[in-house]
Amino acid sequence: MSDRRPLFTLGVSTATRSVLRLAQPPARRSLPGLAAGVASAASAVALLACSAWLITRAAEMPPILFLGLAVVGVRAFALSRAAFRYLERLLSHDAAFRQLGALRLGIFARLLPLAPAGLSGTRRGDLLTRLVRDVDDLQDLPLRVVQPLATSGLVAVLSVIGVWWVLPAAGLTLALCLIVAGVVGTLATAALSARSERALAPLRGALADEVLEVVENLDVLTAFGALEARLNALAVVEDRLRRASLRSSTGAGVQAAVISLCAGAATVLALIAAIPALGTGGFSGPALAVVVLIPMAVFEVFAMIPPAISAWRQARSSAERVATAVPEQIPAEIPAADAVPREDSRPAVPQPGRALIELTGLGASWPGADRPALAGVTLRLDAGDRVHLAGASGAGKTTLAQTLVRFLDYTGSYRVNGVEARDLAPSDLRRVVGLCEQRPWLFDDTVRQNLLFARDTATDNDLLDVLARVGLADWVIQRGGLDARVGERGALVSGGQAQRIALARALLADFPVLIVDEPTANVDTGLGDTLVRDILSASADAGRAVLLISHTPVPAGLITSTYTLTAGSGLQRDPTPGEALVP
Amino acid sequence: MRPLDPRLLTHASAARWFLLVGAVLGLAQTLTVVAFAWFLSQSITLAVGGSSLESLATTVAALAAVVILRAVLVWLLEVAANRGAAAVKSQLRTAVLARLAERGPDWLAGQQSARVATVVTSGLDALDNYFARYLPQLLLTAIATPILVLVMLWQDPASGITVIIVLPLIPVFMILIGQATQVVQRQQWDALQRLSAGFLDVVGGLATLKIFGRDRRQTARLASLTDEYRGRTMKVLRVSFLSGFALELAGSLSVALIAVSIGLRLVDGSLLLGVGLFVLLLAPEAFLPIRQVGAQFHAAADGLAAAEEVFAILDDDEQPDQHLSVGRGDRSDAAAPTGPPTTLSLQAVSVRRGDAAIIDRLSADFAAGQLSVLRGPSGAGKSTLIGAIQGFVPYDGRVLLGTMPVTEDDDRDWLAWAGQRPGLFSGTVSSNVALGARVTDDALVRTSLAWAGAGDLDPALRLGVNGAGLSGGQSQRVAAARAIYRCVATDCPVLVLDEPSSALDTDAENALIDGLRTLAGQGRVVIVVSHRPAFVAAADYVVHLNEVAHV
Repeated sequence: MSDRRPLFTLGVSTATRSVLRLAQPPARRSLPGLAAGVASAASAVALLACSAWLITRAAEMPPILFLGLAVVGVRAFALSRAAFRYLERLLSHDAAFRQLGALRLGIFARLLPLAPAGLSGTRRGDLLTRLVRDVDDLQDLPLRVVQPLATSGLVAVLSVIGVWWVLPAAGLTLALCLIVAGVVGTLATAALSARSERALAPLRGALADEVLEVVENLDVLTAFGALEARLNALAVVEDRLRRASLRSSTGAGVQAAVISLCAGAATVLALIAAIPALGTGGFSGPALAVVVLIPMAVFEVFAMIPPAISAWRQARSSAERVATAVPEQIPAEIPAADAVPREDSRPAVPQPGRALIELTGLGASWPGADRPALAGVTLRLDAGDRVHLAGASGAGKTTLAQTLVRFLDYTGSYRVNGVEARDLAPSDLRRVVGLCEQRPWLFDDTVRQNLLFARDTATDNDLLDVLARVGLADWVIQRGGLDARVGERGALVSGGQAQRIALARALLADFPVLIVDEPTANVDTGLGDTLVRDILSASADAGRAVLLISHTPVPAGLITSTYTLTAGSGLQRDPTPGEALVP
Repeated sequence: MRPLDPRLLTHASAARWFLLVGAVLGLAQTLTVVAFAWFLSQSITLAVGGSSLESLATTVAALAAVVILRAVLVWLLEVAANRGAAAVKSQLRTAVLARLAERGPDWLAGQQSARVATVVTSGLDALDNYFARYLPQLLLTAIATPILVLVMLWQDPASGITVIIVLPLIPVFMILIGQATQVVQRQQWDALQRLSAGFLDVVGGLATLKIFGRDRRQTARLASLTDEYRGRTMKVLRVSFLSGFALELAGSLSVALIAVSIGLRLVDGSLLLGVGLFVLLLAPEAFLPIRQVGAQFHAAADGLAAAEEVFAILDDDEQPDQHLSVGRGDRSDAAAPTGPPTTLSLQAVSVRRGDAAIIDRLSADFAAGQLSVLRGPSGAGKSTLIGAIQGFVPYDGRVLLGTMPVTEDDDRDWLAWAGQRPGLFSGTVSSNVALGARVTDDALVRTSLAWAGAGDLDPALRLGVNGAGLSGGQSQRVAAARAIYRCVATDCPVLVLDEPSSALDTDAENALIDGLRTLAGQGRVVIVVSHRPAFVAAADYVVHLNEVAHV
């Protein structure tokens, strides 16, 4: 890995650093771009130096032959500055894009064992979007942070050496001004802007919350006659933010002013150092022009540093967020992923009369939670069982579902076909136990692709058959067949249709044990009962066990038993299976 | 893209103020640039000519003074830009929110509310860079470049003419290259969005992929997608970076041309060193602003795109369909109808969306003292009908409260309502329940919660933004309690609840039904949109809303 210079480790945790390392291309890829960048910036400095020498020397009226080299130099540097800049941008973008692939895969590899239960805080859709955007923003690290910092740093050092070689005193003043600009102009002003950001961020957050509430609940506020009061409250927050922004604006220009001042000072000091030296030790007029004018060009290159530093701050906070959302360490509550996915190690074929699933004193916790979300659950599922699991919200119904497919680790005993689940690779267990999630995820693709990944050998006829079983035969014809798209996150299908597609997927995969988690949670109430009825009849099979999780009553006759889950006290079998739960 | 959208000046007076201040500061900055080049070239010329540092003290001191002045002006311009951005953002934000309040919920429903919220908060932050980086350079291009060119023409016409010839080539090149790559760039941008969305799709569906044992295959797919994208993007970049190349080349090559031409004329004595150096120092400055404008193009595009979205909201003048035949009651009749029980009657109410009638001439009488249930398949327009009763949705026909017509600009003091979405706010449960009330009646808050089946909820419990911290069922009950509170506290004759129990368990639902029966018993019109058998069983009156038959 290249460029692990101290600046990049200052105030950065190990976890963040490992994310940053994923984003930075290796040296062999970033060096060509860096070399072109240095060549371009050095050409810019050389162009001014060469022009200054040419003009001052020409004023001494030498034979024109003596100027030939300088004339060629001026033209060459003008061309090479633009050409190398073009090359720099191409090479560095190419390296950054190559790294983006590695970065995405690296983050994905970390997400794999964690998802879904271990992605703390990313269960909300917008936070997930944020994570993905952060990963994309990390592209800026090589392009807008490392490249300009390295380029301008190197060229500044080279220029100081060059000026030093002509006149040590001028080299010294240039180095001094660069250091002052670097320290005061970047670090000190960075502290200044960090302070104003600390003052502004909470105000900005408060305003965003207020605005979101007003905009999303405009109907409520209007209906309750509270809109005006609310807008007034918002105006107060808005005004506070505006005044804080105005206050912090005085600090905003300090950086640019300091750099401008240092650049000017470098020129003035070079004059003061060079004028007395004129004529001593072969220090001539043209050399004076060169050492006096070079600082201007160097500071133009130096101007790349402040934006690079603010880009660095953004890249760092992106990396911090990614590192927090996707920890490298897998929490204890998540079962370790199987090292190598084994082929054909599917647990033994279910035998009649033997329990498919047997839970004894099962408990489970979510990562970071201080107490278990599930405790003391004992349940047996045989082939042909259709069990309704009821319980108030918060009783741990979804936790149980996530535990049964081994997204969460468990305490107690959980046997599948007589084998303890801990002894099975989670991915092997998931060939036996399948789940229709509360919010089934549909991929932004066709209906066909959304079904095929459950069984990629299925023919179109198989797919149409299974869609008919889940009651989507007419719908898919109406939509124009299997090639109909479901839209981003299933935006083009309703909640009930999404559930049906998810069920069709599960039926294609032919799981011996199927868990259906709250299928009616996102479905219009009137359609819920029909959906539950259709799910239970479509999945009924002598060889399959179905566990339907639902807080609402289930129509009688479709289920073989009902259990109620109560927070902390496990499962209770209801006396009258299939009837509405009477307290 | 227009460099400066005139609507920005119309909608935000702070932008006009900034342009004025920026122009004055830009002019002053240009003068310091000229003075700096002048004093510097004089110092060098005189020193080369043999003057000592002591005899040059005044010139060098003047140079130092210019340096300080220049730094101060740089600071002032940045401060002005930051203040301008803050003030403009604030003005636009206020204008958008006022506009939203004016247009009402039905108009907002046609937008994406989350997007609107983003536009007025973080979306507007794109204006920061537009003001801080782009506009000052645009101003300088308009002010500094002509002044510098004039000074050069005056001092050395040959150099001035070189600049005059090269300068216009820059925008011409940029426009030509920009046009050549615009389509490809747009496609590329879309591809980037798709790629990012594709990654999001895979990450979001990771649980599903794991369930079906397909998680590991995605690695290869992601790798090939990204690599393919890189190949295509680099092809485009090779062309679009050419515009940057043209900029750099025009700038540096004209400096080179000027330097060589000055050098040659110095050799034959037709030009003085002082003039030559002065012009050499001015030449790059003449190109600097337009180079910066080119470099800050993206800052400008993002800022203008953000402003564009705001203007789209502010300038959306499309009038909603007017209530065509709403009987407009005399306002003197429209005093809060308290006292004797009244009936809410719908007479031939129709709601149209575009050409389709969602509700076609519906008539119904909801009597006081009764629990009425409104049911029908989803899409039959139940919530739309409620919106019409509220006056949020334009309709034809008449809505009467007793004998008095309900009008569009009614302040709805006769109606208490809870929608399908709970729509809660940050604050305590109690402050949510008593929304809109001047003083909070704690006892009534408790009663309302109990009647809504949420008697176990602590009124002092604090909720996060949008009511975060409550389960779906709890939020629904708090929303119902809020409607009940308003109904009792302001004694309004009509209570409407839209799907209040879709996430409730049986106990809570029964408690809610009991509460609503009590309210109806006090002589109110109580209308509930629900499918739940328990509600239908408890209803005195059921209206079944069918999908409108398409003839």
